[in-house]
Amino acid sequence: MDRMRKIKRQLSLTLRGSNSGDKSLSETISPQDTAHSDSDAMSVRGSGSLRGAVRGSGSVRTGSSFSMHSLLQSYSSALRRPRSLGRSLSSYLNHTTRLEIVHEDVKMGSDGESDQASATSSDEVHSPVRVRLRNNPGRKISTEDINKRLSLPADIRLPDGYLEKFSINSPLFDKPLSRRLRRVSLSEIGFGKLETYVKLDKLGEGTYATVYKGRSKLTDNLVALKEIRLEHEEGAPCTAIREVSLLKDLKHANIVTLHDIIHTQKSLTLVFEYLDKDLKQYLDDCGNSIHMHNVKLFLFQLLRGLHYCHRRKVLHRDLKPQNLLINERGELKLADFGLARAKSIPTKTYSNEVVTLWYRPPDILLGSTDYSTQIDMWGVGCIFYEMSTGRPLFPGSTVEEELHFIFKLLGTPTEETWPGITSNEEFISYNYPRYRPDCLQNHTPRLDSEGVDLLSKLLQFEGKKRISAEEAMRHPYFHSLGERVITLPDTTSIFALQDIQLEKEPGIRTSSLSDSAVVSSGCGVVTE
Amino acid sequence: MHSVPVATACALYHRFYQSASLRVYEPYLVAMSAIYLAGKVEEQHLRTRDIINVCHRYFHVDSEPLELDSQFWELRDSVVQCELLVLRQLNFQVSIQHPHKYLLHYLLSLKALLNRHAWSRTPICETAWALLKDSYHGPLCVEHPPQHLAVAVLHLALRTYGVELPLGSVEWWQVFCEDITKSIIESIVFKLLQLYDMEAKCT
Repeated sequence: MDRMRKIKRQLSLTLRGSNSGDKSLSETISPQDTAHSDSDAMSVRGSGSLRGAVRGSGSVRTGSSFSMHSLLQSYSSALRRPRSLGRSLSSYLNHTTRLEIVHEDVKMGSDGESDQASATSSDEVHSPVRVRLRNNPGRKISTEDINKRLSLPADIRLPDGYLEKFSINSPLFDKPLSRRLRRVSLSEIGFGKLETYVKLDKLGEGTYATVYKGRSKLTDNLVALKEIRLEHEEGAPCTAIREVSLLKDLKHANIVTLHDIIHTQKSLTLVFEYLDKDLKQYLDDCGNSIHMHNVKLFLFQLLRGLHYCHRRKVLHRDLKPQNLLINERGELKLADFGLARAKSIPTKTYSNEVVTLWYRPPDILLGSTDYSTQIDMWGVGCIFYEMSTGRPLFPGSTVEEELHFIFKLLGTPTEETWPGITSNEEFISYNYPRYRPDCLQNHTPRLDSEGVDLLSKLLQFEGKKRISAEEAMRHPYFHSLGERVITLPDTTSIFALQDIQLEKEPGIRTSSLSDSAVVSSGCGVVTE
Repeated sequence: MHSVPVATACALYHRFYQSASLRVYEPYLVAMSAIYLAGKVEEQHLRTRDIINVCHRYFHVDSEPLELDSQFWELRDSVVQCELLVLRQLNFQVSIQHPHKYLLHYLLSLKALLNRHAWSRTPICETAWALLKDSYHGPLCVEHPPQHLAVAVLHLALRTYGVELPLGSVEWWQVFCEDITKSIIESIVFKLLQLYDMEAKCT
């Protein structure tokens, strides 16, 4: 037993070691790469700095087209390819056939989140800290070993015959795992393969994707399969590319987990963890009246997930109840990052049309393109209201109507309440009547005064005045949840704390929210 | 095409060839796909048709524009196919942090530090910016963190014009970026100059 433990520790050391090895090696390799592509261009170096300066200012004058052009040129001449049309076209065509071979053979499997080493690594990398494992051919390799080695979840079910393969010829366990080997192993287990997942019901259909409920043969867990049709002419939709590239980096208890990516000729399927329903369905199922304690829990989890995104400079930009998923434990997770993107430069303006109208802040409705993390906070306010009253706050169907709803409740802005608004041309052109601000308290009878205070801080006209996700989490409204919810590690659910529990929804109809709730309401049917 | 998508396209291209061989994958095709993909990532959608036509024009300056025949469609399909290949090879990690914003930030702080005359006499900004742009010709952008690149090009620009910064208790670059060292800067500068040498040889 002791020995087993030792071996496992060594294994995990090796794994970690080879990760860091990847990095250092890729750094040492790259200069050689440069050298390779211009093997004869490395001689003159002395006058480099002067030439650099001349060149540098030269390309100021000619601008970016020069840079781009010379980039292409330098590569083309480095490779000395003939520039005739026929040749280069035929090489393109050759390439298509080669592409297909690559798809079949190399098994560049999309191993989803399970692959932490990023694309910067090269394949055959060995650990610098070589841990020599004792050669022990008689040792039995267990499922647990393999799970450890490939850092898979513990509840995974390996296909029959996979273990036997290892015991017959297992050089794999005696040396550090290279990236390619790991990929092959993952793919043999079933990651990145469509056959691994059984499609069950259709859950919904969007403009570019269809979502199915499914079951993973590996773990028997339910999954959500988001099948993205690949347009022949357009390739992968940019929303899908952004969603995947962002979700791969986001690991948080209140953000939906991306398990796997399956790539076939016709479609790209994203495998997500399965959650029972979205907030919209949840509201419907409990007769539009969520227990106020649960409203607090949901709102806090929403803020927690959002704070994590904002900290990592990611805006969601499309918050709405349909994008907030809830499981039977009451865990709420942000989903659908199709419109989100990594926020790179704060001064940059983004494309104008982003958030669903009902949850869109007034500054964006009035044409502002200069927004930041506050864009999401208005939507949080709207969702907070919707959870506590059961109806949407500003259900406008046009921009004009949407603004009308907003101003009717919060008052038409003036230069005092929104500096600069009177010179906004769109605002002037709509010519709204002068509404006086209504009292929020009258509209939200179920909300206590602290809740109303938080709501009013979220529903500020100006983005910069809106409360941030982090501040909101510390608002007195949440003090009843205790201190510890704020300091939880990112990947820990708030329900890990003993004193945090979901209340039963009194008005719940046939639903599998929790078995006891179904039984106590006298309804024997448990829908799946 | 804006400069951010251009930079992203270059970075995607270099990142791709960090793990794939130039001999196995046709570099022009990968370059076209990288441009196409960058357009999607940076919200400046480009049409495959435009990319193909423009690239064609670059490679064959004198020839006629491409006919819209089956060859063209096949070429377009391979660009789209190759985009997916790039995505897979990069493991869908296509959001890239560029050094430009850091450089901008550093330049603004420097401007406050230097006196106005010294600033207006020498084109530090332009030079540093151009150096940074040119650095994308090589794989520097995937080998070094963006902060380091920004400091290095600024260092080179300052040295080129012989601008001395007032000495403080620490070197100026340490103020901007804590984990950078003199030797890192020098290795980046060296690689950058090599790029220029390589280009001088080629043209």
